[in-house]
Amino acid sequence: MTERPDSFFIGWAPPPRRLRGFLIAVVLGLLALFALTSYLTAATQDDPGDGAFRFDWGRETVVGVLQAEPYPVLHVLESERFGQGQALMLSGFGKRGVQDRGDPLDGKVVEASGVALKRGALDMLQVRGGAEGLGPLEGREAPLPPVVSLGRWRITGEICDGKCYAGAMRPGQGLAHKACANLCLIGGVPPVFVATDDIEGQRFFLLADAEGGAVTEAILDQTATLVEIEGEVTRRGALFVFNIDPQTIRLAQ
Amino acid sequence: MPMDILDIAGIYGLLGACVAVVFLLWGIDRVDPNARGAWTFRPLLVPGVVLIWPLVLWRWWRISRGETLGKRHRPPRLAQDYLALALALAIPVLLVAALLARQNGPYERPAVMLEGPAAEQDKSAQ
Repeated sequence: MTERPDSFFIGWAPPPRRLRGFLIAVVLGLLALFALTSYLTAATQDDPGDGAFRFDWGRETVVGVLQAEPYPVLHVLESERFGQGQALMLSGFGKRGVQDRGDPLDGKVVEASGVALKRGALDMLQVRGGAEGLGPLEGREAPLPPVVSLGRWRITGEICDGKCYAGAMRPGQGLAHKACANLCLIGGVPPVFVATDDIEGQRFFLLADAEGGAVTEAILDQTATLVEIEGEVTRRGALFVFNIDPQTIRLAQ
Repeated sequence: MPMDILDIAGIYGLLGACVAVVFLLWGIDRVDPNARGAWTFRPLLVPGVVLIWPLVLWRWWRISRGETLGKRHRPPRLAQDYLALALALAIPVLLVAALLARQNGPYERPAVMLEGPAAEQDKSAQ
């Protein structure tokens, strides 16, 4: 009696007849597995939102009053795109803020130029380098809008960096984005608190400490997850600021 | 203060650096006759030794006891099937555990006013 030779798969040779059924089943099984994995991976992702760089708007030039603390924000006086009184957070290129350029211009009328980012009611301007990007407008003066207290609140939400959340990254929020958010915050990009509820119709709050100063160092461990924070909400013109007490930050359960 | 994962990784790396110095200056001559008198390649091994220094120490010990080439590779090879099986089980378990442990909301929790505004105030004047 002759022994049947073992079937042996060789990539470059025609498959042995006895293995064909098995190989077809494996190939079809893998295709189905990959399709299912792809679908489940895509279906479980959060919606990245509609935020984006508005390169289609071209370069925006905006005249406004600059508020340097807690992070540079421009209260618009004149702009073709943005309405008077609108608040534009400012950032530099990449993961950089413009605190060093904004500090000497605090309270002054400035001209800012750059590319806008927009997500719902959240607006940011990525300013160009040098004085062309952010410089004083001599001979003009205008006051900063007054600060109005909206009370002390406990709000649930996520600490994000204002640039990625506004559309520089998709997604610009959530745990998968934590490292990027922290690098942006360390680089000086303004942190925003994206709340789960409105206060006076607003869900985005610029973050500051209780004294109204920068709060970046104290929040880096709490970014990208849903947290509960207590603090005072204030409004300055169209800008809503959440002056938080970092000791009250708790993971939302 | 409790140690976090970075502290543990730092201690592991520090021990690895010590092992790398001792192994690459003295030990390697004892385990590999071809390395004797050859020095320029040794700095290239530093990152690898820092990463897998427990295995380096274990093999150094086994070879210095005069065990044969086949024998000194046996334990890792014997464990390979079990490790492959363990990995095949661990990956889905970790994935499911991560999905279960992942924070899922609250996405619509109302904000709570703790204290009303005292009065309309102009802080910019302060």
